[in-house]
Amino acid sequence: MKEEIYRLNCYVENRPGVLARIVGLISGRGYNIQTLNVGPTEDGSVSRMRIDVLASSKVIEQVILQLRNQVNVIEVTSRRRG
Amino acid sequence: MKKTNMRTGAQALVDSLEKAGVEVLFGYPGGAVLDIFNLLPDAGFQFVLGRHEQGSAHMADGYARSSGRPGVCLVTSGPGATNTITGLATANMDGVPMVLITGQVPLSQIGTDAFQEADMNGICRAVTKHSFLVKSADEIPETVAQAFYIATHGKPGPVVIDIPKNCQQALTDAEYPERVSLRAYHPESPATTAQINKFAKLVNESVRPVIYAGGGVIASGASRDVANLAHKAQIPVATTLMGLGSFDEHDRLSLRMAGMHGTPAANWAIDEADLVIALGTRFSDRVTGKLSAYAKKAKIIHVDCDAASIEKNVGVDLGIVADIKDVLTTVNSRIRKATHPEWMKKIDGWKKSHPVSWKPMHKGVIMPQQVIEAVDRATGGRAVVVTDVGQHQMWATQFFRHNLPRHFLSSGGMGTMGFGIPAAIGAAFARPDHQTVAICGDGGAQMTFEEIVVAVEHKLPVTFIVINNGCLGMVRQWQQLFYSKRYSGSILTVRGRLANERLKQDLKYDYLPDIVKLAEAHGAKAVRVIDPAKLDAAVKKAVTSGETSLIEVIVEPRANVYPMIPAGKHVSEMLFK
Repeated sequence: MKEEIYRLNCYVENRPGVLARIVGLISGRGYNIQTLNVGPTEDGSVSRMRIDVLASSKVIEQVILQLRNQVNVIEVTSRRRG
Repeated sequence: MKKTNMRTGAQALVDSLEKAGVEVLFGYPGGAVLDIFNLLPDAGFQFVLGRHEQGSAHMADGYARSSGRPGVCLVTSGPGATNTITGLATANMDGVPMVLITGQVPLSQIGTDAFQEADMNGICRAVTKHSFLVKSADEIPETVAQAFYIATHGKPGPVVIDIPKNCQQALTDAEYPERVSLRAYHPESPATTAQINKFAKLVNESVRPVIYAGGGVIASGASRDVANLAHKAQIPVATTLMGLGSFDEHDRLSLRMAGMHGTPAANWAIDEADLVIALGTRFSDRVTGKLSAYAKKAKIIHVDCDAASIEKNVGVDLGIVADIKDVLTTVNSRIRKATHPEWMKKIDGWKKSHPVSWKPMHKGVIMPQQVIEAVDRATGGRAVVVTDVGQHQMWATQFFRHNLPRHFLSSGGMGTMGFGIPAAIGAAFARPDHQTVAICGDGGAQMTFEEIVVAVEHKLPVTFIVINNGCLGMVRQWQQLFYSKRYSGSILTVRGRLANERLKQDLKYDYLPDIVKLAEAHGAKAVRVIDPAKLDAAVKKAVTSGETSLIEVIVEPRANVYPMIPAGKHVSEMLFK
């Protein structure tokens, strides 16, 4: 299946361990994170993560569903970067 | 002045576990949890000492599978924590609610390579639903409440709470919250009216429908609703391994288990169906075989509480993320009564022409399948049957007539050898009034044999049956069928080993260890059965005795599990011998 770069936008609770869980979910499937950007939002208890991954659309769909299952993940969206 | 409830973090933990409704705590002590163990003699729940942390974790798992309530386990830091990883992974794969409390070195020592320090949060991340590292005594009550909430809501799973020793010793007046609110975790969502209508429409229009019921049916408590659906619209029911017991196999509509070692009727029905109603299952590769050819003639409805399970392996026509019981309650009132005489005739024909069966191979040698039939007869099909993993597990699915939910406990997803003995003990703690039978092979039994002591100490009515074929049967079977009969590493008896594994000297007894002597050394009554004529009486005596006992049955070493659809193959490639 064709692999493209997808940007995942995740809003997560700002707690220790959350980043490791999210990154582990992606790297545990053998996918390489190309860019990772984590920063605060206006709401100090929420962080935003931008993650660029090279993968197929099928894998990205699965990853998004599994990210949403995480206890500390508030919302995930994605878009293709080509 | 407001009355404060100042106590140590350890006391706050014990109080919180009581508030969470814990009745039995499984575990093993060590340096980093001594403050908690110091309080257990006065706690409002029973503590059960295992003999290895893996055993304690499987006991908590078996307790949860049998009772439906979360299993709880307490172990120390470092090796205590890491020994539970297989137990966590097993529970995680099968969606079993569990809360594991691990001790941790004091916060000030974390990251210093302190004695018995392991980064439990890092290690367990991939095999748990969630994990917490507590950083102050004040967090303990709320964390416990959240852990129990997460373990039991949505798709159930194991949750770890790692508590540094200094947090156990520090003082806190934090109270157990009356209500849990998690900002980001809201797994429950009801099905929409449009989804329910489409579900009913697909059922009403179908000519060759099949229900395919998984462990989610049992977790949701929806067995009766599945039966109602099946009977109202005359829909035959196949189950997964995890779904065994969700539908009575004595029912004419039962196709029994589907998948690699499932019945021909179940697999052919799914292959021929025009509608597959998949309930609480994840379309495991052990069930689907060749994905591109799976249920090609059927529309598929998939109901599961886990959004990530839908469309993961198999494309579906209608996916509903909701509680199965809720969905079926509504759907059942919208479907029409129906019969499918031609479809049922075909299915009855398959069941008659291809029942799962066995034939004796050598005169005077017990066939392993006979042992399972003897258990079914002796218990009237009412016992809680717990299996280990391998050939005996598959025979237990085939030759026991499953008819009650939470009465067949088995490591499905993870396939964990060593699960059977401790899980049976945990199950017996959940249902002390019930006969429990553990069915193990000689390979898996040796992995956690030490836990039999726990059953003896607590006088549990568990019968451990070790089906001894002198080899790792399922490995041997795959080597026979797919690896040109090179039995590398799979023969446990002295005879039959490859040259590189042969022992330097002949042993007097071909089977090592002597399982009967080993059981007796653990305090259990034990007997060895070799003669087929004595099998039924031995099983009957053990299961009606109400005592902890073990039966070792020496069986035909070359028996294989059939039918078999080789991994990744289509139903049409089923092997019968």
